[in-house]
Parts: sequence; structure tokens; C-alpha cells
Amino acid sequence: MTTADTPQPAPRLILESRINEIALVWPWVESLAAAYAIPPDTSFAIDLCLEEAISNIIRHGYRGQPGHRVTVDFSPEPASGTAKRLIFTVEDQAPPFDPLEDLAVPAMAAAGSIDRLNPGGHGIRLLRKFAADLDYRRLAGGNRLTIRFNLRA
Amino acid sequence: MQITTEEITGGINKVALDGRLDIAGAAAVDLKMNIIAGQSKKLLIDLENVSFLGSMGLRSIVLPARAVLGRGGKVVLFAPNEMVESVIKTSGIDSLLPVHHDLAAAIAALQ
Repeated sequence: MTTADTPQPAPRLILESRINEIALVWPWVESLAAAYAIPPDTSFAIDLCLEEAISNIIRHGYRGQPGHRVTVDFSPEPASGTAKRLIFTVEDQAPPFDPLEDLAVPAMAAAGSIDRLNPGGHGIRLLRKFAADLDYRRLAGGNRLTIRFNLRA
Repeated sequence: MQITTEEITGGINKVALDGRLDIAGAAAVDLKMNIIAGQSKKLLIDLENVSFLGSMGLRSIVLPARAVLGRGGKVVLFAPNEMVESVIKTSGIDSLLPVHHDLAAAIAALQ
């Protein structure tokens, strides 16, 4: 719970569709962590999931074009009292793009050889592992990815 | 993101990464990592002071490591913290790039 003296971090982060804007994510997550007493492991997971989701939107959804917007909204659940879950929605105005479709390499058995040691394709797997819940919805004119995390009591 | 290199016992190149291996961090170290990998037969990547690892950071580890392995060399990932190790294990790269928390074991694995 925050006190009257604690400045409330903005529950919304707006980024332009440039990869270096992703540097804004961690300081924003840190401010939420301070306000909501989010433990470090959960902050790490939030940071990781948001950075993966946003970079996918910029690279794939917006095809690397700057000048577009990615909006991240935060809300605790329940809305007042002690938060038990943290809800992040990541929205864009890109063409239909479901990051949860398995664009990544399939669930990886041990990379038995050097050729199968993939430098890429890990983003979706990381999202699935580090988020408690993921939900994709197509909106009119954009995409919304909802990412939920549990807050340890 | 800082990167330092040191040759340690047994002809091992130790690369220490310090900071966040996010997109910006990965870009900052990619060139040097690839140069070091080009010169290494035994590569110890020290992740002890890495506070964050995302998929771009994984790429910055895998590409140089593949170069070393491809020439018949060996690579270990040393002392990642718990969350960073969780990212490594989720990606599965530890099946070819083993994680060690004990320096003696890491050195032994590179012989």
C-alpha cells in the first residue's frame, strides 16, 4: 500500500515504436515495484515480458517503422486494498499479430547439436514461462496482449 | 553494459559482463564478444554481475559461443543469478553451454 506521501507512478507507459524506447520500461517497472512492494523476481519477470512483447510489436507488428505507438497499462487486482495480481496490457495499432502463435522454435528439447543452438526465437517461450497468464485479443485497428503476474502475499 | 576480458589459468579466456543484457546492453557488447570468441578455444562467460537477460542478450551469448564450439572449442556460462539462470534454462541453451557456479568446476569443464 502506498502512503499519501508516496508519488504514484503513472499506470500508463507510452512508447514510440523505436527499439531504444524500450529503455523506458525498466525505470517504469522499478517505480511500480517501489509503490506496490513488488519483489525483485517478479519485477524481473515483468520487465522481461514487457521488453519481449514490445520488441516483437516494434519489429514484427510495426515492421520496424518508427512513428507508431505502443501503450502499456498497469492495474493491480483488486483495484484497491492489497494487490494480489498485477495486470499489464500492451496495445498497438499494428496489423493483426498474435505473439502467442507459435512463431518461436517449438518447445525445445536439448539442443543436441550446434546447428540447433538457436540465437533467436526465444521470446515467446520466455513470455510463456515468466508470466502467470497471457491473453491475446485483436481490437478494432490493433492488438492487445494482456500479461498477468501473481504477487506473493 | 561493461565487458572485460582476462586470460586465466589453462589458456581460458574469461569474459565478464556487467550490467543489463537487454537490447541496448546486447548491442553494446556484441562486437567485442564476437572478437573475443574469434580468439578463444576455451571461453568462460562470467554472468555474475549481469542483472537482466532477455532474448537479445541470449543472442549475444549464443552467436559467439557457436563460433567457439564450431571450431571445436568449449564454452561455459559462469555464475548467473537465479533469474538470469532461469532465462538460460528456459531457452535451453544450457544443454550446449553448461552453467557452472563453482569456478573450479567451470575451469575443469573447459579442459
